[in-house]
Amino acid sequence: MTQYELDDAGVVVIIGSGAGGGTLAHELTRRGVDVVLLEAGKHLTAEDFVNDEWGGYEMLSWLDKRTASGDWRVARDHPLTPSWSCQVVGGTTTHWSGCCYRLIADEMRARTVYGDIPGASLIDWPLTLDELEPYYHLAEAKMGVTRTNGLPGLPANNNFKVMYAGATALGLNASTGRQAINPIPYDGRPATIQDGFTVTGDKVGSRWSTLNVEIPRALATGKLELRPQSRAVFIEHDAAGKASGVVYVDAAGTRHRQRARAVVLAGNCVESSRLLLHSASGMFAHGLANGHGNVGRYYLRHIIQTVWSVFDKPVNMHRGEIMTGMVDDFVRHDPARGFAGGYYVELNSMGLPTTAAFLDPGWWGRDFAGVIEQYAHMAGMLLSGEDMPQAGNRITLTDELDAFGVPVANIHYDEHPNDLKMRSHGYKTMTAIHQAAGAKRSIEAPAYPASHNLGSNRMSAKAEDGVLDGQGRAHEVPNLFIADGSAFATGGACNPTLTIVALAIRQADFMTRQMAAGAL
Amino acid sequence: MNGINAYKDPKLPPPIEVADGPEWVEALTILDRDVAHTLLAAARTLYPHDGLPERVYRRVILHFDRMASHSPAAAQSFAEFVDRADATMPLPFRELSESYRVAVLKEMETSAAFRLVQRSTVRFLYDDVEVWQAFGYEGASVHLGGYVARGFNDLDWLPEPPAGV
Repeated sequence: MTQYELDDAGVVVIIGSGAGGGTLAHELTRRGVDVVLLEAGKHLTAEDFVNDEWGGYEMLSWLDKRTASGDWRVARDHPLTPSWSCQVVGGTTTHWSGCCYRLIADEMRARTVYGDIPGASLIDWPLTLDELEPYYHLAEAKMGVTRTNGLPGLPANNNFKVMYAGATALGLNASTGRQAINPIPYDGRPATIQDGFTVTGDKVGSRWSTLNVEIPRALATGKLELRPQSRAVFIEHDAAGKASGVVYVDAAGTRHRQRARAVVLAGNCVESSRLLLHSASGMFAHGLANGHGNVGRYYLRHIIQTVWSVFDKPVNMHRGEIMTGMVDDFVRHDPARGFAGGYYVELNSMGLPTTAAFLDPGWWGRDFAGVIEQYAHMAGMLLSGEDMPQAGNRITLTDELDAFGVPVANIHYDEHPNDLKMRSHGYKTMTAIHQAAGAKRSIEAPAYPASHNLGSNRMSAKAEDGVLDGQGRAHEVPNLFIADGSAFATGGACNPTLTIVALAIRQADFMTRQMAAGAL
Repeated sequence: MNGINAYKDPKLPPPIEVADGPEWVEALTILDRDVAHTLLAAARTLYPHDGLPERVYRRVILHFDRMASHSPAAAQSFAEFVDRADATMPLPFRELSESYRVAVLKEMETSAAFRLVQRSTVRFLYDDVEVWQAFGYEGASVHLGGYVARGFNDLDWLPEPPAGV
């Protein structure tokens, strides 16, 4: 592997190797840019992964302490792990279920289309869907998204048969949807064997991840140095206010400073915001790029919730790919529903260990036992919908320091009335679908630790409304970028990974143009 | 029987061994035996599956023992839980009938010690391969070729969706 000197100020330093950082590393290096990729986690391989829900969770998850406040139920159910992402080379793309839907034009103009919603701080994206669409095409091609680029859809599994029967009985549109999981061999990766364990690392490699696609290809360019187990703890700047380097701690606990031509944060919402807030200086007293106090603010986590239903006959939802189903009738904004924004209903399955853990944390007794005993007869669906950005929903630093001397982050989240209206509507929809397929009991399960973490360093046309411009570049620091979901101006309804990848490809184009022009 | 076979990933360590007789407590390394028996009664009251053998609940308590040996704070919480469960009624918790045990646990629900015992019971009980087998969760699959030829689409009591939907 190529190695760069610590005082080589010609490298782009990317912090985080997931959907945004791993993709950007590949897209920059294949354009000839020198890149150092810092990843806090280990470099694991398919051989290391296990087909085991708790085993995989403990192997891949970012388990460092965080705290939670606000009226969201996650603060009560998961007070020390309110957010769920991965700490491993490949980031959360080692864990994701592969859903790949695009934002729609209205979602990228949320303030204009939804109007002025009291208590919400909506803005329009500083780019349009037309500008993003070419990059969606590129992202779908590299990821091998089903129903694009000549790929078929994934086949119906047992859980989908239940969703399809219920949805069609109600006149809704259900399909197996679009996933970055191979139904047939594609791009050197095999077809799925329907093992049901993409969330614990995907031993088969049929699902796209930066671990199995982007990072190996970036390394093959000879332009990438990947440094696993390297925990970024501070971003430095020069006298002109430009980012000049990243201080990080290696596996042995030794501190280093990597100088940089540009710095890109891609550590998922909480870590990217935490690092900016912590990187305060005389010039940036409240944290880097935080002159308007917007770093960490407008945190979004989507309206996520699940309905699990029990049927008379076996379903065996654990067999096969996890999220190969969706109903898209509620995606478009429709004021007649009584709330702004939309949602997807998606197929969802879990094994017995996590179904029991997330069905309703805190629920115990004979009623729970009677439900979970019928695991083999259970079907599941998940809702992913747009939540409202609010100024008070934010990531902040606490007084407690972690093992690296960086303050532990707190995530505060209060649900907006619009969020609660969508939750109620969504539960009714999902329960109705299962009832129409013959469910004898449906359980409204709450949100898990947030895995769609978005918006806390948002892009905005006006500097005072966010942190980044429309290229994901900090309004206040011209060579500081963000390439993760925290850059989203608003959340939209769909799973965020495809959009993160599309934005990273677009950002690579922009950065290389800037470099060619001598501006970066 | 449900006709399925449950598998743990072959890379993972085998389940904790537990004796069938009362000597199972000899495997405890740090938990007091009275504490262990009380926690056992609590686990069975929290998640009462009459069809499951005693040994699956004993394995949960042996996991608690490991937790306690790794974490003094967990050991302290287990001790607090038992003290409180035993202090509520004129009989020790584990001698109470089920409805009284439920009443005692309901009173303790908001305590941190209860939360640890309840969440940890879920964590370990439903991760036990014998419980998987009983409730029809087949578990690890890659080492068997996944489910592509083992029933991922064998549900036959609903109409088959059209091809390509």
